[in-house]
Amino acid sequence: MATVLSSQAQRSATPRSRSQRRKSIQGSRWVPFAFLAPGAVYLLLFQGFPLLEELRMSFTRTSLLNPSVSEWVGLDNYVAIFTSPAFQQTLRTTLVYVIVCVVGAISVGLGSALMLNSAFRGRGLARALIAVPWAAPSVAVAVIATWMMNAQYGIVNRWLDTVGLGVPGGSILDNQTYALPAVLATTIWQLFPFCSVVLLAALQAVPQEVREAAMMDGAGRMWTFRVVTWPVIKPTVALLALLMTIWSIRRFELIWIMTKGGPIGATRTLVIDLYSSAFEVKELGTAAAIGMVGVVISLGVVIASQLLTRRAERKDL
Amino acid sequence: MRRLHIGTSARIIGVLVILGIAVFPLYWMFVTSLTSNQALFGSSAQMFPDLTRLGTYGEALSGNVLRWLMNSTIIAAGTCLLTAVLALPFAYALSRFRFRWKSIIVIGLFLTQMLPEALLVVPLFALFRILDLLNSLVGLILVCTAFVLPIVVFILKGAIDGIPRELEESARIDGCRPFGILTRIYLPLIAPTIAATAVISFFSGWNEYVFAVTFAFDPAMQPMSVGLASFIGELSTPVQTVMAVAVMYTLPAVAFYLFAQKYVVSGMTAGAVKG
Repeated sequence: MATVLSSQAQRSATPRSRSQRRKSIQGSRWVPFAFLAPGAVYLLLFQGFPLLEELRMSFTRTSLLNPSVSEWVGLDNYVAIFTSPAFQQTLRTTLVYVIVCVVGAISVGLGSALMLNSAFRGRGLARALIAVPWAAPSVAVAVIATWMMNAQYGIVNRWLDTVGLGVPGGSILDNQTYALPAVLATTIWQLFPFCSVVLLAALQAVPQEVREAAMMDGAGRMWTFRVVTWPVIKPTVALLALLMTIWSIRRFELIWIMTKGGPIGATRTLVIDLYSSAFEVKELGTAAAIGMVGVVISLGVVIASQLLTRRAERKDL
Repeated sequence: MRRLHIGTSARIIGVLVILGIAVFPLYWMFVTSLTSNQALFGSSAQMFPDLTRLGTYGEALSGNVLRWLMNSTIIAAGTCLLTAVLALPFAYALSRFRFRWKSIIVIGLFLTQMLPEALLVVPLFALFRILDLLNSLVGLILVCTAFVLPIVVFILKGAIDGIPRELEESARIDGCRPFGILTRIYLPLIAPTIAATAVISFFSGWNEYVFAVTFAFDPAMQPMSVGLASFIGELSTPVQTVMAVAVMYTLPAVAFYLFAQKYVVSGMTAGAVKG
């Protein structure tokens, strides 16, 4: 190949420039970096630098009112948040929020994917419609959810009243017990379509003949699912669990607009705590420390999931 | 045979229920926008839209709402353009070249997916104050691009990976330089994917809220997301108007996401797999 190339280059009308060009393409190791540079510099400036700045800020006392002045306080912010009962409450709320979101979104997604994974008329339309909640902007979802849960005129309250489950005092979102389930239901409503669409794609790899043969031999639905379907979609479910975990740790708009973390901290997850510490309490140092705890948790989740995946792969071999 | 029949109708009912759950809130948004006050605050809910009230939409489209729509469109279009310009060469380099630190760059890209927007709001707020980018549409375009860029890079890299290398090799023999290879060979071949990523980045700018609500305190610079959310807890705007604005904000996003669905899903999962 190389000899062909060089002989072609020699034969061409401008041999020098050709061979030079070839060198600049294949020879120089700087070419890929020239392509990468704009995007990489951009990401370093708008993601890398702020992250480091946030890390630095977490060791300082800095006020939003005068952010250029910051006093180094070492680990004080971390000590303060970890000894505060309010932050422990935040961590518990975050844990509940994340677990219920992940389990809820994946199980509703799997259930709907299994239902949609058969031949029926209008299947294409059904598959398109199911993606609708995921496509809607979070702010619009928060607005309609808030209206549907309105104390007096919300449709959800009307329904709950009809079946005798009316919320005492009216508003669901102002109720300490009901606010978190309401926010969770809205989040799951928005997230499950993504799981559904991804799982539908994964289900295409399930061998239909094996499934049918098992059913024919009298195997139950559950057994067939466990033995034939589950092994095929398991990696996809694991991947979705990771994505859903990261996304629900990140989720901000929905909770912020629906409850602002209230009532009395009932829906105050980590990102809400972070935002409110920065822009309501105006303590940037505390906010940064809370944020770094969030980063460490997310990183931990990613690393744990990678380790688990590796181990599962090794077992399979 | 009979058992099968029952199974089938149960499945159909199941599908209808799940679709009902998926679509109902948005349907309700639409119905509410077209319901009279009387019916809205009556004793029982009105389940169907009153189409004679479509004028609500015309009335809603005035003053602030028009400005919000325009701001959202500018932010979305800017994000879309800037992302494409930055992502294409990035994806090309990741897909077609071997170089040091490549896996570190890929892991870094994946890790950006992990960072909550709310986390970077504070340091970017400080940075933008110095750069005088608060209350500016340009500032919002810059941050929206930063958050959508990694996903778009993953999707475009996947598309370039799928094209046979022979095309590039023959172009090289003909003396085409790397930049020409990207623009003249890959660009036309992955055009459909580029269109899909354009939709994704457009709507990530369209949907963005955290940065806009923090950085754009001047009402003239606020996009739809911030404007719409500001209606909550405020009593002077009729519910019908709020819902009409919400419908106008949601409809384009839903329509276009459906068009790009396949790419969005594969891109987001690919990003996670490679990490």
